[in-house]
Amino acid sequence: MKSKTNKDHIADAEYGLDSRYNSKKERASEAASLMEARLMRMKNLSKEHIIRAKLMQLKLKMEAYIEQPMYDDQNHFADFLKVYVDTIYSTRNHFAQDINITPIRLSQVINNHRDPKDEFIMKLMIHSEKVFENICSFHKEIWYEVYFHEKLCDTMSRQEEWRPKLEKDVKLSTVID
Amino acid sequence: MNVIETSSGKSHTVEIDPVEDGDYKTLRKSRFFFDWKQEKAHEVYKLQLSGTSEILGLISLENIPEEWRVHIRLLTVSKGNRGKEKQFDRIAGNLIAYAAKIAIKEYAEYACVSLRPKSHIAQHYIDKYNMKLTGMTLSIEVPEILDLINHYDHEK
Repeated sequence: MKSKTNKDHIADAEYGLDSRYNSKKERASEAASLMEARLMRMKNLSKEHIIRAKLMQLKLKMEAYIEQPMYDDQNHFADFLKVYVDTIYSTRNHFAQDINITPIRLSQVINNHRDPKDEFIMKLMIHSEKVFENICSFHKEIWYEVYFHEKLCDTMSRQEEWRPKLEKDVKLSTVID
Repeated sequence: MNVIETSSGKSHTVEIDPVEDGDYKTLRKSRFFFDWKQEKAHEVYKLQLSGTSEILGLISLENIPEEWRVHIRLLTVSKGNRGKEKQFDRIAGNLIAYAAKIAIKEYAEYACVSLRPKSHIAQHYIDKYNMKLTGMTLSIEVPEILDLINHYDHEK
């Protein structure tokens, strides 16, 4: 029986890759060496690469958020916006200037004291489209999706509060068989 | 994300989802190299052509938050997609890029995907995925991990 050549092995390199550690000791030793090497490499990471990684993380978190219903007390739109602005700008005022809104209005939206107006989200859409152009694929409508997803989840999770009162106001005058 | 049909060069959209309990009985060792039932305690993902139920590849992951790392435990393409006679190309690459997305989502600039192949195939992963070798472990980190994701994310 012929033994496999190195070429055959490489052709099969993606068929049956077993990458498990053989023992806890081996795992701990490999992890320590890897961490040491990574920390050395991290020292050379440029500010630009860090910003790129953070923005890609933000995009992936936004995508994950709109894929599933999430009933919690967090202000997702405002929190994502805060991360976006603080990742790119040294001060929030600079972002406010760039999208031609007042710093007060920005602060109100970020701190969830006021809902963003359509124009605000549209400007944010245009801004992020430009920012993500050279970073990764980005659906510009995602800001709207996050905003409405949060509204929907929030409304549905508070049914017990609003439904009893509003049900009294809703009648069905026509019966549909 | 997409795979390329080697006979025609045609691109097909794929989906990567968690393996469900019902899938395990279809994951035969003769087709997927390992006994995947043994991986039930871990995060296991399957790659399928969009709109079909045929599984073309599998990956098992261990998330290690204290090290900002996602370790690939097992990885395989299906038997019909191995070597030169493969039906589709980019299956393993998409699965590794998926692990990279999980790592970036969790750890941003600290993200790392690692694997520990046998020495004779390590060079394949270094050449194809731009991984770095430390001891016996291969890893991909920022900035290369961002390029990997963009390469396999067909919308970019």
